[in-house]
Amino acid sequence: MTFSIIARCPRNGQFGIGIASYSIAIGRYCDGAVRANTGVTLTLGNPLPRNNYLAIKLLAQGRTAGQALNELIANDADNAFRQIALVDRENTAVAHTGANLRKWAGHRVGNGYVIFGDTLAGQSVLDAMAAGFEKAPDAGLDEQLLAALEAGRNAGGIVGGKGRLPERSAAMVLWGNRTYNEVDLRVDLHERAIEELRRIYVDYKPSIAYYEQRARSPRNAIPAMEFADMLKKQQAKETT
Amino acid sequence: MTYSIIARCPRTGRFGVGSTTFSMACGRRNESVRPNVGVSKSQAFYLRYVDPLALNMLAQGYTPQHIVRMLAADDPDFDYRQFGIIDRENNVVAHTGPGCNGWAGHTVGPYYAAYGNGLAGPQTVAGIISGFLKQPDAPLEDRLMLALEGGRDAGGQMSKGIPRPERSAWIRVVDRLDFPEVDVRVDLHDKTVAELHRILEEFKRYRDYYAARDANPQAAMPEEEFVAGLNARAA
Repeated sequence: MTFSIIARCPRNGQFGIGIASYSIAIGRYCDGAVRANTGVTLTLGNPLPRNNYLAIKLLAQGRTAGQALNELIANDADNAFRQIALVDRENTAVAHTGANLRKWAGHRVGNGYVIFGDTLAGQSVLDAMAAGFEKAPDAGLDEQLLAALEAGRNAGGIVGGKGRLPERSAAMVLWGNRTYNEVDLRVDLHERAIEELRRIYVDYKPSIAYYEQRARSPRNAIPAMEFADMLKKQQAKETT
Repeated sequence: MTYSIIARCPRTGRFGVGSTTFSMACGRRNESVRPNVGVSKSQAFYLRYVDPLALNMLAQGYTPQHIVRMLAADDPDFDYRQFGIIDRENNVVAHTGPGCNGWAGHTVGPYYAAYGNGLAGPQTVAGIISGFLKQPDAPLEDRLMLALEGGRDAGGQMSKGIPRPERSAWIRVVDRLDFPEVDVRVDLHDKTVAELHRILEEFKRYRDYYAARDANPQAAMPEEEFVAGLNARAA
């Protein structure tokens, strides 16, 4: 019911997640899934959210991604129903797809990333996501993650017992070197969740630097309303 | 401009935050609530590292009152910050610096704090609290929703005499587990508080199904069948 990508940016060490699902509010399963300079992980299929916290702690202790994956599998009697993926700070990417997941289910491990999903149209969805992700390697991890989700959707996305199912929720998460996320955007319930995620990100991206600057230098900050109006004018200029 | 409520459920000990603002994606601040530790939610000209720092200090055993003094001593722009902190002993503090924009203020209760800046006036904070207190026996997530609606209905945000829309909203409730019990968000929407309510109500219809599916996958029914059952019952 879900397709996802977790990745490490080889240029700046950022970790990121792109995820879309028929399930609602899928972004809550990204909670605890990333830590700066440590790694990124997700457990999907039949999600096991507590795996995120354990996986990140294992990576923080210095376990390799492969060792951590083995621990997560050994610790879970229902591992045949889970999909687990990790990327560590050494760029090692590993994944597990349990035999009892709804078909089609599988994963594809690339250089510093894992693409995986269940109840999908087929392997073609993962292949399209990989092509989308690698299409513009210099575009920034944010754009790469969005491109992967859009490619997965366009390649057939989620297919249940009676055919295609819509993506009803989606999320994108990005961590740099801080104790909190750099980007964390969600669409919790929408008919075209990936399109909505893109719409929000286009509006959101230009304001990231503004909010950081405002906090560090509040005495000189322009009000949020004025900044929003400026952005609107600028965007109108760019589209005409 | 933002208004928020942070609270600890007096019955269950669960921590929660409800927040809404003109800025996008306020729910990305998921570092602000930590199970078994507390809530620290900063806003106005907030520094992102403050909430994780305050929660680390709570976890070490410092009181919220001491944390406020420590934050003040370490921040030349403390006058521009607004925040609230609750710990697991129900100690509550809030701070509103005089440099916050527009009408800004807070009210601290026995297990909650409501606060905001760029608001229509004190009536917004009063509306948050009357919403929160309306159904004292309801689950914390519902009380947080009522609080946000109370703030909105009392006038919400205003700058330069003009009402300003809420564009993002968020409710998060944690219990004893690492993983939040409720975490629903609207990141950009024209009627974001109403949209958050819609999503919260939908989520409540799904939460038991998701919890059972995750904990006992061998017995789980396919989600589209569950949804068909939901729709049939609703019709």
